[in-house]
Amino acid sequence: MGVALRPLLAEYKESPGWEGLGGIAAIDAFNALYQFLSGIRQADGAPLMDNEGRTTSHLSGLLFRNANLIEKNITPVYVFDGKPPVFKASTLAKRREVRENAADAWEKALKEGDEESARKFAMASSKVDAYIIDSSKELLSALGIAWIQAPEEGEAQSSFMTQSGDVTYAVSQDYDSLLFGAPDLVRNITVSGKKRIRGKVLSVYPERLRLEAVLAGMRVTQEELIQIALLIGTDYNSGVPGVGPKTAVKIVREGKFYDRIGESENAAEPDQLIGYFMDPPVERSYKIESRPPDPDRVIDLLCGEHGFTQERVEAGLERLGAKKGQATLDSWF
Amino acid sequence: MLKATIEADIFRETIDAVSALVNECRLHVDEKGIRTITVDTSNVAMVSLELSASAFLTFAAEPCEIGLDIEKIRSMMSMIGKTDIVSLELDDSGKKLKISFGGYEYSITLLDTKTIRKDPNAPNLNLPATFEVPGAMFYDAIKASGMVSDKISLAVSADTCVFTMNAEGDSDRIKRELAGDDVHYITCADARSLFSLDYLKDMGKSIGRAEKVQIRLGTDHPVQFSFVYAGGKGSVGYLLAPRIEAD
Repeated sequence: MGVALRPLLAEYKESPGWEGLGGIAAIDAFNALYQFLSGIRQADGAPLMDNEGRTTSHLSGLLFRNANLIEKNITPVYVFDGKPPVFKASTLAKRREVRENAADAWEKALKEGDEESARKFAMASSKVDAYIIDSSKELLSALGIAWIQAPEEGEAQSSFMTQSGDVTYAVSQDYDSLLFGAPDLVRNITVSGKKRIRGKVLSVYPERLRLEAVLAGMRVTQEELIQIALLIGTDYNSGVPGVGPKTAVKIVREGKFYDRIGESENAAEPDQLIGYFMDPPVERSYKIESRPPDPDRVIDLLCGEHGFTQERVEAGLERLGAKKGQATLDSWF
Repeated sequence: MLKATIEADIFRETIDAVSALVNECRLHVDEKGIRTITVDTSNVAMVSLELSASAFLTFAAEPCEIGLDIEKIRSMMSMIGKTDIVSLELDDSGKKLKISFGGYEYSITLLDTKTIRKDPNAPNLNLPATFEVPGAMFYDAIKASGMVSDKISLAVSADTCVFTMNAEGDSDRIKRELAGDDVHYITCADARSLFSLDYLKDMGKSIGRAEKVQIRLGTDHPVQFSFVYAGGKGSVGYLLAPRIEAD
């Protein structure tokens, strides 16, 4: 998912530590929800579920991860994807196929009693569907956490909000935000502190990337960075076969982007894709409004509808209200 | 364009007043002086500051906006001697500010003003009680209250015209009443709001240096503090959102 820029970006990664991250964070909602769905699971891979069999992993994630963030003086704003751009169709179809295959494999692994594989396939079968989105928005509203609906790509919206200074940084595990021009991108703050990589459990720390430093360090312009990404492959094109990150940089530096990009399967003319990254559709009139949580509504929703234990929810609420009762100036502006 | 010199004390008070709440700010510069207005990252408090060109020893400027990393400047403040003259000069590209004092030349990279939050509009508030108290007296009460609690109520009684600051902790309580010559009322009206002492302690350092601070108070409303410094050539305003008491 996203673009494979990682090897090129390694040397520009800063490790800010939690104390350096206070501010307003525009969080890629789909990306975070996917992480909650894939990461918050029972041992056999089944997501957390209520009595009626509805998934609740994302609700648990939203409550407790946000409590973590707010305790660290980070004000989250969730940005939801709108309708995908037409040229994302093939990526979405592929993701659907991967998910469906994973669901089959999960079932098979369960039958065979292979718990480790079951968990792995279960994670890959996670899907952010309409129920997940609607219930997330409802919970966020009850928690007093702001969310914003993007017209198309959420990462484009987060990038715009970061550029305009309304939020401090964009949050996503994917690097696409950089292509959309996010000046400041932070990773690993909506994931738990531990990650399983090839069976090993590793600690995960926040990472920060500043677009200005990336461009200056790579000695490329924003448009050239997008060209490099297109050569490697993005959500909107397949990439040129055999071209990895290093070769892509070389091709762009030599000014041969247009000679080679034709070898990639592109969902649209390369210039059209570049134009989409440079100037994507975004909502310009939005209001970021954070309020104190509404405990009754949260308990109604989580305990009443989804069978969470009240004690657990109250503990989360208490952490969310770290500055309990503190009003913000929003109410008076 | 900006090229100016200023006494270390006034420079320090300017930086302290803003850095009490934020790490970065957008500074508007023109021939009349400098000004900024900004809200802290949690949207709980706002600071506005204006310093007239006449507060500087020399001042030449053309209108521009500068993105200042206040935290960086604050951290090198200890290097500046009390009687130093600080000279400020914006480089031609507008991307660096040169701050010179006592033999040091400190060049700091400015922030892209586009990445700093938009200036907030000053809200229109219904704050019925307006009065002045000595800045030091107010700050002393804030410091004392911090020993017993993390919140304090500020209240005015229209009947008695007493200004009461009351901090209640789990076991202890501190109350300070100001009346008579210590409070000068512009309008005396009933008002009572509760505030976080963390924020008041941060603002209090600058307020404490002011001979008098004007306070505007309402009920469950933000409180507004305003005071002057630099011999009346600078002014600072703070706005702090209240804490709303649980039933």
